[in-house]
Amino acid sequence: MISLSMRKRFTSVRTYLLVALLLMFVGFPLYWMLMSSLKNSSDIVRLPPVWWPLPTWEHYDELFSVTKFGRWFLNSLIVCSMSTVIAVFLGVIGAYSLVRLKVPGKEVLARSVLLAYMFPGVLLVIPLVLVFSHLGLINSQFGLSLAYLTFALPFVMWVMRDFFGSVPVDLEEAAMIDGASRLEALRDVVIPQAYPGIIATSIFAFLFAWNEYLFSAILVRDHDLMTLPPAMANFASAMDTRWGLVMAASTVATLPMAMAFAFLQKYLVTGIGAGGVKG
Amino acid sequence: MASVKFDKLRKVYGKDVVAVAGLDFEIPDGLFVSLVGPSGCGKSTALRMIAGLEEPTSGRLIFGDQDVTDREPRNRDIAMVFQSYALYPHMTVSENLQYGLKKRGVSSEERSISVKRIAHMLHIETFLDRKPRQLSGGQRQRVALGRALIRDPEVFLLDEPLSNLDAKLRVHMRAELATLHQRLRKTMIYVTHDQLEAMTLSDRIVVMNHGVVQQIGSPAEIYNSPSNRFVAEFMGTPSMNMIPCTLKQENGEPRLIAKNLSIPLSKQVASLASRTEVALGVRSEDFEIGAPGIVGGVDARVLVAELTGAEKYIYLELADAKVIARAPADSPICAGDNVSLSFKPHQMHVFDGRGDEAAALRAA
Ligand SMILES: Nc1ncnc2c1ncn2[C@@H]1O[C@H](COP(=O)(O)OP(=O)(O)OP(=O)(O)O)[C@@H](O)[C@H]1O
Ligand SMILES: [Mg+2]
Repeated sequence: MISLSMRKRFTSVRTYLLVALLLMFVGFPLYWMLMSSLKNSSDIVRLPPVWWPLPTWEHYDELFSVTKFGRWFLNSLIVCSMSTVIAVFLGVIGAYSLVRLKVPGKEVLARSVLLAYMFPGVLLVIPLVLVFSHLGLINSQFGLSLAYLTFALPFVMWVMRDFFGSVPVDLEEAAMIDGASRLEALRDVVIPQAYPGIIATSIFAFLFAWNEYLFSAILVRDHDLMTLPPAMANFASAMDTRWGLVMAASTVATLPMAMAFAFLQKYLVTGIGAGGVKG
Repeated sequence: MASVKFDKLRKVYGKDVVAVAGLDFEIPDGLFVSLVGPSGCGKSTALRMIAGLEEPTSGRLIFGDQDVTDREPRNRDIAMVFQSYALYPHMTVSENLQYGLKKRGVSSEERSISVKRIAHMLHIETFLDRKPRQLSGGQRQRVALGRALIRDPEVFLLDEPLSNLDAKLRVHMRAELATLHQRLRKTMIYVTHDQLEAMTLSDRIVVMNHGVVQQIGSPAEIYNSPSNRFVAEFMGTPSMNMIPCTLKQENGEPRLIAKNLSIPLSKQVASLASRTEVALGVRSEDFEIGAPGIVGGVDARVLVAELTGAEKYIYLELADAKVIARAPADSPICAGDNVSLSFKPHQMHVFDGRGDEAAALRAA
């Protein structure tokens, strides 16, 4: 007879093994990126590979002194923050309206929000370029962040719609009887119930924008206004790819998101899980 | 001063879901009025229209001398207690209580004085700093009441505020509500489907069914002279016994006939009947049970005798109908006995027909 506690222990060992395997799978590229960024140029391509190099900061030095990496990093931060703030602000109001207000045809409206996802980005970018050049939004950080709304806004609306749907109507009705206007009720009572959702969607909206390449490469040509993905793509050329530089840049570029995930993890878990049910 | 007047107030959801078919009455200032009726009869909808949470399809709503039909909830000087309590989960009890005052620009010193006063009144001083989820049902209920009371509105609206509490707490809170109303003398409109709650708390009861008001009156009026069969059967536990009868003339005297039952009826009442298929309604306490063969009694057979504690419910078969009579707890009557039932003549209700809407026939 295997006792219950032994069986439990066996199960937990198995779980840990699986998790370890998964971690290796996910973690290895990250490890390799970090290690490569700390190797000198000849070690990077050495076979058999060097697992624990003697760290050198030469690529980081070059990254910040020779290239305009700092500038691009800042550009990325600006563009992504702008688009995230706008997307979350508009998305929250839009999603709330779709849930609570008596808008005719709101089901259809809500679903058509996802239409933007049916098209590949390339299809959207051509008309965008035309429109933006008329409006003088080419080579503009504001313009690029507007372009990012095409996917950030539908996403925020779609997810927040679920969140608001799960907040009991009674709460905001109580607030409105207590003397709040509808917008005040939204701010004071509904939004605090949906914080996990707002944090989760903000992170994802930011992440989309942070990793976005196509729109940025096409809509922003000015070297000083570029965001990280297209700028970093320039490190790799047909002749000579500066792997050390690429890895160092990638490492730094990964940092903000890794930090965001680490700090906001607990909200994220409730956020992802709580879409349908009340959190 | 806020009386609440319904002027042909009507609510239709979508195209044809008639939730409230037309309310047309006035609630005088300071009364405790209950809206009762079975589930889905439109009580909540009526209340929500008073609150301004639901827009009437037609009709007007008047508070005192002001038409408030088009006013937002916050401009109506009302407070509402929800069945779900609807306490703000992210705020402490104290913040919950203060929210309405804050919205009305009351200073923080005054707010904290009010919070103290209300907390004392409702015995919630000790958990002012807790969040709603750290409270029991009864405590939440009190906070919800407190949130309504603190603003001192003209009209209180309560939608089944006690229905989530256990039986003991319900009785307790019911008494507290009654005392509160005694003290405040504000108009309170109370929705419940529990007729006992309505009977014990109200100055007036409005009985509704299918969105239509069936009767408005004091608890005693509603209980003693229900205007139709629906009201008669809805109010009171056990519900009023109904015995299908035929109205016949015998030797020029009108009588109610059913199998071995034959009861004389006043000519005046009989003349009001529009048909011969009528129903005789008798409350369980208006039967007298005696030994079989008593003069003026009707023979009946006991099916079940059920002890409820203070008294016994005797289920009987009487002229093909099943009826319930009350007997003292120590009564020796038991299943299978043959007894004789007599009626207190002034406590008989005759209904003009067999349906819910059959009107009570009553001599003027
Ligand atoms: N938003 C709505 N849309 C459509 N129909 C509704 C809506 N709200 C209520 N109804 C319908 O209106 C009628 C009255 O509903 P209401 O909530 O007023 O009943 P109630 O008397 O409060 O019942 P309960 O005792 O169950 O709370 C019901 O038939 C209900 O189905
Ligand atoms: Mg209801």
